[in-house]
Amino acid sequence: MAEVVFSKVQKKFGAFTAVHGLDLSIAEGEFVSLLGPSGCGKTTTLRMLAGLEFPSSGDIQIGDRVVNDLAPGQRDIAMVFQSYALYPHLTVGDNIGYPLKKRGVGKAERLAAVAKTAELLQLTELLKRKPRQLSGGQQQRVALGRALVRDPQVFLLDEPLSNLDAKLRGYMRVELVELHRRLGRTMVYVTHDQLEAMTMSDRIAVMEGGKLQQFAPPAQVYAEPANRFVASFIGTPGMTLIDGDLSQTGGVWTFNAPGLSMPVGPLTDEATAGPACLGVRPEHVSIGTGPVQGVIQVVEKTGHENIVIIGLEGGHRLTGRVPAPQSWSIGESVQLTLEAEHAHIFGAGPHGARLNRPHETAPLKTKHNPDKTKPKLQKAANE
Amino acid sequence: MSRQKTLLERRYAALGLTLIAPTVLIFSAVIVYPLFSAIYLSFYNVFTPTLEGEWVGLSNYAELLQSGKFWNALKNTLIWTIGSLSLQLIFGIGMALVLHQNIWFRSLARSLILFPYFISTVVAVLVWKWLFNDLYGILNHLLMKVGIIDFPMDFLGTMPNAMISVIMVGAWKYFPFVVIAVLARLQSIPDALYEAAKIDGAGPIARFFDITLPQLRDVLVVIVMLRAIWDFKEFDLIFLLTGGGPLNDTQTLPLLVYQEAFALNDMGMASAYAVVMMLIMLVFMIVYIRRTKDDEGS
Repeated sequence: MAEVVFSKVQKKFGAFTAVHGLDLSIAEGEFVSLLGPSGCGKTTTLRMLAGLEFPSSGDIQIGDRVVNDLAPGQRDIAMVFQSYALYPHLTVGDNIGYPLKKRGVGKAERLAAVAKTAELLQLTELLKRKPRQLSGGQQQRVALGRALVRDPQVFLLDEPLSNLDAKLRGYMRVELVELHRRLGRTMVYVTHDQLEAMTMSDRIAVMEGGKLQQFAPPAQVYAEPANRFVASFIGTPGMTLIDGDLSQTGGVWTFNAPGLSMPVGPLTDEATAGPACLGVRPEHVSIGTGPVQGVIQVVEKTGHENIVIIGLEGGHRLTGRVPAPQSWSIGESVQLTLEAEHAHIFGAGPHGARLNRPHETAPLKTKHNPDKTKPKLQKAANE
Repeated sequence: MSRQKTLLERRYAALGLTLIAPTVLIFSAVIVYPLFSAIYLSFYNVFTPTLEGEWVGLSNYAELLQSGKFWNALKNTLIWTIGSLSLQLIFGIGMALVLHQNIWFRSLARSLILFPYFISTVVAVLVWKWLFNDLYGILNHLLMKVGIIDFPMDFLGTMPNAMISVIMVGAWKYFPFVVIAVLARLQSIPDALYEAAKIDGAGPIARFFDITLPQLRDVLVVIVMLRAIWDFKEFDLIFLLTGGGPLNDTQTLPLLVYQEAFALNDMGMASAYAVVMMLIMLVFMIVYIRRTKDDEGS
């Protein structure tokens, strides 16, 4: 059980910088996802924490130890690999027991620990089999078992669910959350799948281009994305982003784009008149009445709701989301309202920062509270 | 219920037969015929130049099993095969591990390492004979200069030097085969296995025995089977290097077959030796086929 701290960690591969001065502090017992598109540096970050890559500069701390110069085996961590990396010539039982064997745990104690872990993961029937005789989901559980058997300080998971089919992935998500709750251990989870990150994490570290974009609880990442990149990356279907201009008259900010003019705010002191970007989530577009004119271009029926893509006068496209019975035909002209109180304003450029003043009363604002893990801790200790 | 074959099926079958026919014919001419011919000849007392002689039944075999020559040659063959193969494996695996590392001369070294394997045996043996020579050989020169020996050693003319020399040259000549096969397998072992082992607390030696060696097991079985068969029937290297001498101390079974057939002109006896050799190698073959079948089954 330990906190994990990255201080100004940088990783260069030759001339390419994979991770730029990362500062990240993960609390004890927290489940944190590193989320981002491929090549964003999330896996490199996890591998540095594991000791499989070494930072070019900066410090990595697990608990109260700086681990920069410690070999992976000395860091008291366990890792689940995307490919599972099970030892093909060993049985399931020997795979799970391997970390204990390498640490000199006696045979009787080892077998007892393997049996306990196998029971937890429903692998007891499979202990004598070889990995190649198992299904993908079973192999996944063995990989988890090998990580769990030793009770390490920190669990590292590198896209562990990405080789499973959709149904099994949904099941394993729930299993992992359950496991985290039972063990109360710090878990660092790398994924490119926002659904996994949103559903499982206490906090999400959104990364792009080797830089940390936002580190906040899932709901806050969704409701108050720190910048335009996070806004576009999180949410399915994605947030509509419209480039335009910001102007201020008498203390009221107005956003203008061709065919669209709407009051926004309140904004922070960093907001200036000039180029800016408006962001609206699909659920904050209401179709029927309103000041904005649009034409229905595409209707995607998903069963319980319909995703509607609407062309605006200025050539922009807007995504809306409505409950299933409501539908429109292609080419139909509609009136729209964009809910100003939920509209996001970002500065110009692909990483333009969010300029909305934080909602004072919004319940989503709560930062991750380390105290939250304390009851879990005691529970784990009592077990 | 039997079904009439369609015209198309019959045409495909005819095409298939046409295509494999040349191979079957050539195979019969160069493998099946000599094989049965050797078995047939082994029951006769044949004078090589005329290939004429009378039926003697199993007496060639009886004589063979009672003669010290056969058992001596079998012993030498086993010493040569096991000795040379062990060294090939040790140097081959070791060199493959070195070449698998990221060293700067890796691609050059990978090509150079093949040199002994590609060089003609006659050329290689001539060079080694010069190196071993007791009057002007560089090996004796260097050993004396360093002070390990006071007088030139006879590398090929005394025992056990001759057998050791033959084994060393064999190992040098054939270890690149092991390097290539092992290196190819090493490159296909997933890195994640080593990374997982590192995290699980395995050091470099434990990683070799827990990951590398088990992963190499299948390829090593194939290498050992193939090289054992090839070394067992090795002729030119030993014949050119020592001719089976001193006395018959490096005479292996293939050299004995040659001697019976062309020096003593007894083709029947030579065939009997050859058939016995084939039976011994059949054991290797059966193990090898069993092994590959097991792999397919799993």
